[in-house]
Amino acid sequence: MITRRDLIKWGMVAPALAAGSQAAFAAAPQGLDALLVDERFPFDDAPLHAGVPVMRFAGDVTRVWYEVLDARWRERGFVLGGITGSDALFVLETLATHQGRRVVTRTPLAEPDARGVAPVSWVIAPHHPSVAA
Amino acid sequence: MSLLPPDMDEAGFAAFLEELRGTVGADWVWSGEADMFPYRDSFSPVWNTGEERHASAAVAPENVEQVSEVVRIARRHRVPLFPISTGKNFGYGGPSPNVNGSVVLDLKRMNRVIEVNEERAYCLVEPGVSYFDLYREIQERGLKLMLDCPDPGWGSPVGNSLERGVGYTMPHFRDHFGAHCGMEVVLPDGEVMRTGMGALPGSDTWQEYPYGFGPDPAGLFAQGNFGVVTKMGFRLLPLPEYYRSALITVPRRRDFVKLVNHVNYLSDSGLIGEVEYGSPLSALMGNADFMALATRTGGPSDAEMDAAASDAGLHNWQVELQFFGPEKATLENWHYAKDRILSDIPGAASFEGDHFPMPATEEQLNNTTQPWQTSIKRRRSLGVPSLGAWKIVRDDGHVGFFPVLPRTGEAVFEVQRVLGDAMKEFPTLPPFFNALTTPLFWHTHTFQMVFAPSIKHDDPAHNAITHAAMKKCVAVAAEHGWGDYRAAPIYQDDVAGTYSFNNHILRRFHEQLKDAIDPDGIIAPGRGGIWPRRFRA
Repeated sequence: MITRRDLIKWGMVAPALAAGSQAAFAAAPQGLDALLVDERFPFDDAPLHAGVPVMRFAGDVTRVWYEVLDARWRERGFVLGGITGSDALFVLETLATHQGRRVVTRTPLAEPDARGVAPVSWVIAPHHPSVAA
Repeated sequence: MSLLPPDMDEAGFAAFLEELRGTVGADWVWSGEADMFPYRDSFSPVWNTGEERHASAAVAPENVEQVSEVVRIARRHRVPLFPISTGKNFGYGGPSPNVNGSVVLDLKRMNRVIEVNEERAYCLVEPGVSYFDLYREIQERGLKLMLDCPDPGWGSPVGNSLERGVGYTMPHFRDHFGAHCGMEVVLPDGEVMRTGMGALPGSDTWQEYPYGFGPDPAGLFAQGNFGVVTKMGFRLLPLPEYYRSALITVPRRRDFVKLVNHVNYLSDSGLIGEVEYGSPLSALMGNADFMALATRTGGPSDAEMDAAASDAGLHNWQVELQFFGPEKATLENWHYAKDRILSDIPGAASFEGDHFPMPATEEQLNNTTQPWQTSIKRRRSLGVPSLGAWKIVRDDGHVGFFPVLPRTGEAVFEVQRVLGDAMKEFPTLPPFFNALTTPLFWHTHTFQMVFAPSIKHDDPAHNAITHAAMKKCVAVAAEHGWGDYRAAPIYQDDVAGTYSFNNHILRRFHEQLKDAIDPDGIIAPGRGGIWPRRFRA
């Protein structure tokens, strides 16, 4: 179960990710186990490299989900932060929900494009007792 | 939002949920608004309106015994259950029920791949197994088998086939319900039944002969509401040794009729896999004059389209072919296809594409080396599940109308014209039906064409247009004998109503069956347009 304290903590992380690299880096050790970056959206994540593993993709989450997240989300814990397109977040959120996880905070970073896709920063955390840390 | 099952008060609902918790454990019953949000249809065109269908609770049993007990509890309390496997039926209602207040029977915890038999090319799985799970099992065991999966591939073989979903490999595997073989079902009274050879104790052919003896009720459980499927067998393809692709183009608009007939022959003879029809003239749709021609009321003449093609130096139509089998066989099949079509259609041209041994490499799966701009989505064509399809989804999703039509060029031209004209009432929608719209060859022996207008959560006016257009499409298509093959709960009554031969005898027959085995509507009342007596009243 996600506690109020968790929500406050992660609620600070997503805007920090949105605000930029240094702030995100500072916030990440407080709770993120990994960061997912959608390379369709320019973002200077260099300062994030230390401490938190960064996974990259370009719109299609198939590979990162099949090779990493599917297994990690079957285990307990694992808090994932991301800066992705809203389309990719829809896919990830749907998969996460299926495995007892929730988007606990999300922050749009820009207006949607012509397809309705906008960059979003977010945090997905375990929620169901079967996967809670 | 406080929502209750039909005919139930708060106290009764609380008692019902308590019984569920006692069966599956407190952690696997949900009823709060936040917990129920994932069970909404996020692609709904009636999002946040009074027409949207909401579940009151969800329960996730772990095994068939628990499913059986949940059904018995629901029967005692007269609570409708809405079974889902993985709930990924987006565009067709997602996990949302037909009846407000239904309790979602979420089978995601039943996720065992029970058997994959390489030598006999079948599998037996539970409803919570996704195509990714099955693919992983095959890969990790190094089995020489190939899936036929939908795109995206995150749904389950059980759920997709029960929705009569489709894939993209060889003809008889693309029809996922047609490729199933044997099922286990919890009936509305909680009894567990097995179909086909599964009904014969000691049989070892449950996944090899679907019928057993006597009537086969398996079809009742596809798009139906006569039971909860808890196991299902599927035929699998032996991994082909080799893959080959090719392209044929034909110059004149009317050549499409012959092209379709040839491709039908190749498909029915088992020589080719799924094909991708297209039009090289699509490149001209950015030109306002050509767009006006292609979308003109009544449609353009053949001569006008031929002139436009000639002026642009393009052919009217193309088809991408895919061959599976031993390398020599794929080459001979391609030569045969090319000779057959080019000798019959003057001016037709052929182009060889990628070909390689299976399994494909990552680069081959990425499909970046085809010598033409291809419509083939290589992963799904080779049975590799993907989530990449979501990159092409506009706005917050879409709804889907896919009419079934004859596998002829003439039928395609007629659909282009009739539905193109009908949809002019909705000028803000893209021109799904125009003079270049090509058919989808998904199911084994029919064509379908796509109408998939988008929805936007924050734009109810846009959604209302989509909703009205969907209803009109269903009605106009049915007037011409083209029926929808699959629909979201909010459209199921409309679609079922179009299958009206002999004063709706098909629906009345289904209702008789439903009344006989589930008069209180415990299993998905309304699904498939089938309502039990309790809800008809």
